[in-house]
Amino acid sequence: MISLDRASLRYGPILGLSPTTFQLPEEGGITGLLGPNGAGKSSLLQLISGLLPPSGGEVKVFGEAPFRNPTVLSQVGLVPEGDRLPAGLRADRWLRMMGELSGLSGAALQIAVAKALTTVGMTDRAHLPFARMSKGMRQRIRLAQALLHAPRLLILDEPFNGLDPEARLTLMGLLRELAAEGVRVLVSSHILGEVAQLTDRILLLFRGRLLAEGSVTEIRQLLDRHPVELRLSGEASALARWAVEQPELVALRMEEGAVVLSVRSPRDLLPRLQKATAEGRLPLRTLDPLDLNLDAVFQYLIKDHV
Amino acid sequence: MNQAPSPLATIRATAFGYAPRVLQGRGWILAACAIGPMVIVMGGTFIARLKGADLNSQDALQIFHEMLRVMLPIMALVAAPAGIREDLEQRTLSLLLVRPAPAWALPLGKGLPWFLWGACWMLLSVLGLSFLGGDVSSTLGRIGAMVGAWWGELALMTLVGLLLKRGALWGALYFFIWEPLVRIFPPFLQRLTFSHYIESLAGSRAAGIQTSQVLAQEQVTTQPVLAFLILVAFGFLCWGLAGWKLHRTPIGFAGSEAEG
Repeated sequence: MISLDRASLRYGPILGLSPTTFQLPEEGGITGLLGPNGAGKSSLLQLISGLLPPSGGEVKVFGEAPFRNPTVLSQVGLVPEGDRLPAGLRADRWLRMMGELSGLSGAALQIAVAKALTTVGMTDRAHLPFARMSKGMRQRIRLAQALLHAPRLLILDEPFNGLDPEARLTLMGLLRELAAEGVRVLVSSHILGEVAQLTDRILLLFRGRLLAEGSVTEIRQLLDRHPVELRLSGEASALARWAVEQPELVALRMEEGAVVLSVRSPRDLLPRLQKATAEGRLPLRTLDPLDLNLDAVFQYLIKDHV
Repeated sequence: MNQAPSPLATIRATAFGYAPRVLQGRGWILAACAIGPMVIVMGGTFIARLKGADLNSQDALQIFHEMLRVMLPIMALVAAPAGIREDLEQRTLSLLLVRPAPAWALPLGKGLPWFLWGACWMLLSVLGLSFLGGDVSSTLGRIGAMVGAWWGELALMTLVGLLLKRGALWGALYFFIWEPLVRIFPPFLQRLTFSHYIESLAGSRAAGIQTSQVLAQEQVTTQPVLAFLILVAFGFLCWGLAGWKLHRTPIGFAGSEAEG
């Protein structure tokens, strides 16, 4: 569906995206595009959505170059970052125009507008001018315009920015529903928790480079040289005595009623830990991996890259 | 998968979609620019008659046309930034460009409501002035001159707005520095002004030239029908070039790629 072959993007002398190669398969699902501000997420999305042509390499979406390509664009929906909408217009009329610009007309257009408004929960407020809408309402309308023509690929750039928690949850639910219906959803965010809640499949960008792709776990496994932190609670001194004998241990920190271990290759250590506990040799109450989450992966990869 | 809309469908959709914009503040300023000269001249004539002065209706028409000729570029400077340039500045252009519609048709589609709105008010203004006693037979020429020039000037300003970073400034320099030089231009350069075609359609300025204007050149004229066609063709050329520029230029979320 989406393939980049050494695709890069320059803004004059500034490199927005280093030569990047990856492929996203055809089937639906949500892919998170993750990276701090300035990582190149928007550059990548602009290449995929056909707004900008690559400065080098090749971008293909549905088998064709997307820049000004109606065949590709009729299958892509884009929600750019921010809540900007044309001044002085009403949502329903504007959506109608966007539908017409997507090739819809007549009854199909009416149905598409009504369906998109229902999907985003804005049917009863579509007559309002944009100026009188809240940020959350405008974001919903922006999503509605991207859904009008039933795209196979939906691209959202930082869609959760500025939304209140309730609106975030609603949007996340909506994206999950669309993905379940077979739409491939590509969401960018610099907030790790958001992407982690939505999907396990991520592309990690930093300073214009694609650092990693895969699930959080897969990426974490690539990083065995970085220690994983495990919090073992129970009788702290006994736990510490057992831990210092383990070859995977890198560092140990004592806490009240617990020890925090920094270990490499936890997959080797954990079976021994489990066995020792089961045999009653280890007074372990709970085990919490502290950094086997997206935040930790993100920080490790960035540290590694720097 | 939907079929991409045709250029005509794109122009129609954009024109209807953005039509409500002309009924807002900028649209009424545009209307005031078009109707203002008529109101001022009619008011002046009325006051002059009240005071017993004899204001020749031909003089009144002359004043009206001079004012409208100044107002035309102002109208273009007011309306063009509300065209496709507005989406560029508001960073909403990406929402349009990601559609399968032909991008080159968007400038004309967005400019069309402004042209029609301005043209309606201008028509009203010229027709209103006819009641002052102007030569009815030349009313058609005046309408052609004003509407044709408005079409060309709006298209030119739209193009300049897409080509240059400070499009409004360059447009203003053209209209207010270059155009008045028509009085001293040789025939070839006279044809590179809107004034030449307006005067070819609406009437000669020759009578207005004083002996003190030593640099004044002999006025050349173009056949009225040809002058009108040139204005219309020039407008289409500018709309086409603006569309070509939009189609060719990669414009991302920031929008600034299109400038300069």
